[in-house]
Amino acid sequence: MNSNAIRKPLLVVAGLIATAFFIASCASTAPSCAAPQSKNLSSAISTTQSSLLEGCHAHFDRYYDDLMTIAEGDPKPENKREFSQFLVWSADKGLLSNRQAEDYYNRFFNVKFMSLKGDYNNCSHTCPNKQKVLFDMERELSEKERGLLKVSLDNDGYYRADQLYQEVELVLEATCTACSASR
Amino acid sequence: MNTTARILITVLLITVATLTTRATLANTPTIRLFPTTVVEDLRQTGNVARDMETGLQEVIGRLDQQQELYHESKCDGAEDDSGCQRLARQIGASYLEMLTIMDERLPDMEHTVNNTRLSLEKSLRNELGRKMTPWTLQETLIGSDANKTVSKSSPTLRGRSGMRLSERFNQYYQLVATSGAKGDQSLAVLASDIYLDMEETSLLIQRTRQEIARATLMEQLNQSFGIITPEMIEVVGGVKSILFGDEEGQALVAGPPPGSVEQAYRSPLEQ
Repeated sequence: MNSNAIRKPLLVVAGLIATAFFIASCASTAPSCAAPQSKNLSSAISTTQSSLLEGCHAHFDRYYDDLMTIAEGDPKPENKREFSQFLVWSADKGLLSNRQAEDYYNRFFNVKFMSLKGDYNNCSHTCPNKQKVLFDMERELSEKERGLLKVSLDNDGYYRADQLYQEVELVLEATCTACSASR
Repeated sequence: MNTTARILITVLLITVATLTTRATLANTPTIRLFPTTVVEDLRQTGNVARDMETGLQEVIGRLDQQQELYHESKCDGAEDDSGCQRLARQIGASYLEMLTIMDERLPDMEHTVNNTRLSLEKSLRNELGRKMTPWTLQETLIGSDANKTVSKSSPTLRGRSGMRLSERFNQYYQLVATSGAKGDQSLAVLASDIYLDMEETSLLIQRTRQEIARATLMEQLNQSFGIITPEMIEVVGGVKSILFGDEEGQALVAGPPPGSVEQAYRSPLEQ
C-alpha cells in the first residue's frame, strides 16, 4: 500500500520527463537543407522548393548557386524561363522581396547591369565612385557569362553585355573627366 | 451596323496605337552632344591638321632619304669622316626645318583642338553628367531594345593610332555630320571617344611645343659638330607616327563566341 503510494508520483514524474524529452527532440530537429541531387533542372527546382518551404530559406543563395551549376550541365535557352518562374514563385511565397527576385534574375539573365542602379546624377554620384562601379560591373559581367552564356546559350546577349560594359567604361571616363574639369 | 461598328473599332485601335507610339517616342530622352559649333570645330581641326601634314610631308620625306644615304654610306661609327659630317649637317638642317614648321603650325592646331575639346566637355558634362543617372546612361547606350543584335556599324572604340591625323579628324567630322540617322547610343560613345582623343592630343601638342624650343637649341649646337643624335631619329619617328599613322596600332575587335542563338523569352522580372 505504502510502496504503491510512492510509485504513483514517481511514474507521473517519469512520464512528464519522457514527454518533455520527446517534445524537445521534435523541436530541435533542423531540416537537413541538403543540396538537390538531381541533374535535371526541373526536378532540382522542385526539390529546392520543398526544402525552402521546410525552413531552409536562409540557404537561398546556396540553392540558387546549386541550381545554376545543375543548369550549366544541361545548357539551353529554356533554362532562362525555369529560373524566372522559380524566382517569381520565391517572391510569391515571401522568400524574396520583388526587388530581390528582380536582382537575382537580371544579374544573371539580362543584358543590363544592375550595378548601374542609382537615383543621382553621374557627376555627383557615379564619378566619385567610378572605380567601385566598374568593379561591380565586372563582377556582374562574370555572372552574366554564367547565366546568359553557360546556362541559356544566349551568346548574343552576353556579347552585347560585354560590349555595353566597354562602352560604359569609355563613356564614364570621358564624362567624369568633363565633370571634374568644371571644378 | 455590324460592319460600321467593326470599322469604328479598327479606326479606334489604329488611333490608340499611333498615339501610344508617339507618346513612347516623345518620352525617349534626346541628347544634344554635337551642337553645330562642335561640328564646325572638328572640320576646322581636320583642315589645320591637313595643312600641317602637307607642310611636313616634304621635309620628312627628305629626312628619310638623307638617313638612308647616311646608313648606306656606312657613316655609323665613322663620324670623323668629312663626307659623313657633311651628311649629318644636312640631316640636322632638315630636322631644324621640321621643327620650325611644327613650331609655326602647332599653335593653330592647339587652338582648334582645344576649342573642340572644350565644346565637347561642356556637352558631356551637361548631357551625360548632370542630366543622367547611371541607369539612364545605360539605357541610352543600349538603345530601345536591349536584346537586339550588335550593330556592325557601331562606332569603333579608341585606338586610332594607325591613321593620319587629318584623316582621323575627317572621319570624326563625317561621323558627326551624318549622325542624324544614328541613335543616341552611338553618339554618346562617339562623343566620349573624340573628347578623350582631344584630351590626349591637346596634352601631346602642349608637350611638343615645350620640347621644340629645347630641341631647336640642341640641334643648333650639334650643327657645328655634324652629329646625329638618337633623340633626333626618335623625334622624327614620333612625328611620323602621329601625323601619318603606323601599321601596328590597328585595334582588333573580338567576335562573338560561337554557338546557337535563342533569346525570345522575356521574363516578367526583366528590367
